[in-house]
Amino acid sequence: MPEIGFAHPLWLFLLPLATLPYLPFARRQLPYPALAVLTGIASTTWPEKLHKACSCAFLSCLIVSASCPFVKEQKVARLGQGAHIVLTIDHSSSMNENFSGRYFGGSAHETKSAAARRLLIEFIRRRPKDLFGVVAFSTAPRQVLPLTADKEAIIAAVGALGMRGRGLTNIAPGLAMALETFRGQPLTGSRVILLVSDGGARIDPDVQDRLRQDFQDLAVNLYWVYLRNPSGVSVLNPPKRRLSETSAPEIFLHQYFQTLGVPYRVFEAENPQSLAQAIATVETLENRPLPYFETLPRRDLSPYGFGLALILGVPLLSWAALEIERWLA
Amino acid sequence: MEEFHYRIPWRSRNVHPGHHRSQIQGVGLEFRGHATLIDYPDPRKLDIHASLHDPFGQHKVKLFSQTSLIPILVVADLSASMGLGTKPKLLSRLAAAIAYSAYRTGDLFGFLGVNDRIVLQYPLRFSKCLALELKHRLEKGPFQGKHLGMLRVGPYLGRQRALLFLISDFHFALTEVEALLTRLKPHDVVPVALWMSREWQAPARWGWAKLYDPETGHRRFLWLSPSSQAKLACAFCNRREQLIALCRRYGRPPFFIEDEFYPEKLTQYFLETCA
Repeated sequence: MPEIGFAHPLWLFLLPLATLPYLPFARRQLPYPALAVLTGIASTTWPEKLHKACSCAFLSCLIVSASCPFVKEQKVARLGQGAHIVLTIDHSSSMNENFSGRYFGGSAHETKSAAARRLLIEFIRRRPKDLFGVVAFSTAPRQVLPLTADKEAIIAAVGALGMRGRGLTNIAPGLAMALETFRGQPLTGSRVILLVSDGGARIDPDVQDRLRQDFQDLAVNLYWVYLRNPSGVSVLNPPKRRLSETSAPEIFLHQYFQTLGVPYRVFEAENPQSLAQAIATVETLENRPLPYFETLPRRDLSPYGFGLALILGVPLLSWAALEIERWLA
Repeated sequence: MEEFHYRIPWRSRNVHPGHHRSQIQGVGLEFRGHATLIDYPDPRKLDIHASLHDPFGQHKVKLFSQTSLIPILVVADLSASMGLGTKPKLLSRLAAAIAYSAYRTGDLFGFLGVNDRIVLQYPLRFSKCLALELKHRLEKGPFQGKHLGMLRVGPYLGRQRALLFLISDFHFALTEVEALLTRLKPHDVVPVALWMSREWQAPARWGWAKLYDPETGHRRFLWLSPSSQAKLACAFCNRREQLIALCRRYGRPPFFIEDEFYPEKLTQYFLETCA
């Protein structure tokens, strides 16, 4: 049951004025000496009763509305349907290669970035309820689009990433910017960072701590779609040799992501088919509805009161226009 | 000053000479019969013709009825309903006309103004200036309360049969009118109904009015339409017929004054009712 509050409760002291129509001196009456003669003419009293009740309700509405009633803020359990997904896309120069590790420079075969773009656009088309944001990163991150439901804009933004990539794969600032996208947004669905990259990079320990803190504060799920060259290391089946952070940063990145304390999955894609499969898996994972509490702001009720007073007042006005004010006197 | 002529269908018993036929034998022009000179020793009225015809040889004298005066009384309803519209003015004109006519005819005049009790009383008297005084006094009159005091005026009216003008608007139940007329039965009552045509000429438009009776405080909600004037007029028409039928049973039909008082109409009324 919502609680009702009043912004100016002092007005309510005027509420006894609503009984004015029922007081005897409030009636305008015409003196008429010959009521005894009118016994043959049918008498009705309901219009007068109705008029009094309407006037009383009208005054009550006005006074109550003047005191600005509002429904206090309330928490409502909601079931979030759409996820908030920030596509964090690697835009480094290595994305211009195809899955075999060859650089075509925009030739007939599909580059990794083109395949990712195509599949992401299909993914976006299939999820009408979700909000999407786009962050691209190479050496430095770029916020392409904040969270929005405008599918045209998102598809255009993802399509614009087809420009030739450049620079290095610098994951940490990209992730930080993707996390910033969620800050200040209401939590109405699961939050997902879909990281699409073809490699990893070393992240400083203090940056790692900060990112972990942000992931936990903002409750963001992380899905990493790792577009692996056939020659690259596999994070799911790490080679049995001794690895260093410079030779195989992806493995260490994977290990770091596992310590984030938020749901995390990694998908390795070695060709467009497996990339499609990875994205389909993300889709099934993020279809779950998310129960959450939404805090509704207080709602001002006085416009409804004034509206009701208007609805009551217009017939009262016409009623008053029908009143006969002079007869005998 | 307005005046009218009035006459009565009955004989006065007042010994004072006046204008009306009476049962008192005395100096007059109306022949009553013969009596013996022994009984009425007035040789001036000796009737030789009758004396010669008398089988007993007695001297006969003629007897005449004198004309006597009658008391004129006005019982005026000063209740709240009489204070509306032009009624006070009509009432004062009418009362003044009666007072002045009584003076001119040579009759005694008395006035009783009544609402809940008797609020204005002029006992029977000959007075020339009473008409003027009443005229000014009644326009201001204390028009308030109910008409119930009229049922209690009996003891103030005197024992002689009087011509009594009962002035009211008769806007109360017919049973009450009947009770009133019953109590005033010893007198010759002329009911004068003061009505205003505006009482049934409602504003000719759609609307409603909350009416209250200033006497009883009864309230009534009334829908008005352009056709309701006819309905109201019909109600008043019925009322008029009922009043006429009722008052006829107690002697005279009522005299209606609507909006304007014409003294000549009152004269005509007396000519019609006392043929």
